Amino acid sequence: MDDLWGNIDYAAFVGLFCIGLYVVVAKQNLIKKLLGLNIMETAVFAFIVTSGMVDGGTAPIIGPGATGPFASPLPHALIVTGIVVAVSITALALSLIVEIYRQCGTLEADELKGAE
Amino acid sequence: MKKPLVAVTLAAAAVPMLIGVAALPRPGDPTAPAHTHVAAHYIEAGARETGADNRVTAVLLNYRAFDTFGEVLVIFAALAAVIAVRSPATPGGRADDMPGPGPGLPISPVVAFIIRLTAPFIALFGAFVIFRGHVSPGGGFQGGVILGALLVLLSLVLGRGAERPLLAVPLARWLQAAAPLAFTGVGLLGLALTGALLGYPAEPERHALRELMMITLDVGIGIGGAMIILGLFLEMRGD
Repeated sequence: MDDLWGNIDYAAFVGLFCIGLYVVVAKQNLIKKLLGLNIMETAVFAFIVTSGMVDGGTAPIIGPGATGPFASPLPHALIVTGIVVAVSITALALSLIVEIYRQCGTLEADELKGAE
Repeated sequence: MKKPLVAVTLAAAAVPMLIGVAALPRPGDPTAPAHTHVAAHYIEAGARETGADNRVTAVLLNYRAFDTFGEVLVIFAALAAVIAVRSPATPGGRADDMPGPGPGLPISPVVAFIIRLTAPFIALFGAFVIFRGHVSPGGGFQGGVILGALLVLLSLVLGRGAERPLLAVPLARWLQAAAPLAFTGVGLLGLALTGALLGYPAEPERHALRELMMITLDVGIGIGGAMIILGLFLEMRGD
């Protein structure tokens, strides 16, 4: 429990992830489910970026005269990739949701079960 | 989903994650493995090996350029998929009884004026972020998103509808593919120069060429990203 208190930043991201997961599994509206997915993605991104942080560190932009310590650049680069993929997922899901609404006239998952 | 089932699902997800994060090194610990292996090498040797002051750009465009190549392909594929989903030629056809998005409310003249007034500055900022991305905060994706937001704003004010697009459709298609094309071109150039796909010449006398290759990638990512964001917006709006 002591370690968990020291890693309270990480625990907060677990909480954020669980909020997103709750929205995904408990809400019926497809737009809300997509918002929940985005909250989960944000939690993962924040978690990984935080792991690259270092005490007293600055951004890893090392021109002449820059002094360390520097944050790890690798998580930042990975998360840029992740954000782009998240945008792609969101765009594709939104376009599918728009098509579903056009075809079925509803966005509620429980109503869609009966709809053809 | 039933409420108890939701609670069980959340607990099943949260408890292992909390146990896991409790065992991690403290965030900010300089001796954590995240700072002592490749990251330390990137920070120490990045300037010599890549010529990029901004180590994030060095990782994106040089050390892990294959990752970035795949990433630009992913967002291009997302645009292609959105166009396919939203295309009227989808089997089953678009239900005609559902009205499409109407013209909506006219844009307020204040908003239109402010957008026109700020557009050149936003464009300059986006271009700066793209072109200085290897030595200062920024890069192709960040600048591309700024330019894409500008294009979305402008298409709200100057929106001309599907009949008269801002750019000819074939030209827009090529610009949307700018990032994969730039990666292919630079990758093949690196193959010819160094024998490795996406390789960069390391000789000191060729550092200008290396910088040019990285800026080409950044510009390709920026233009491609901006056009893809605009394309997504227009497809969603129904143009």
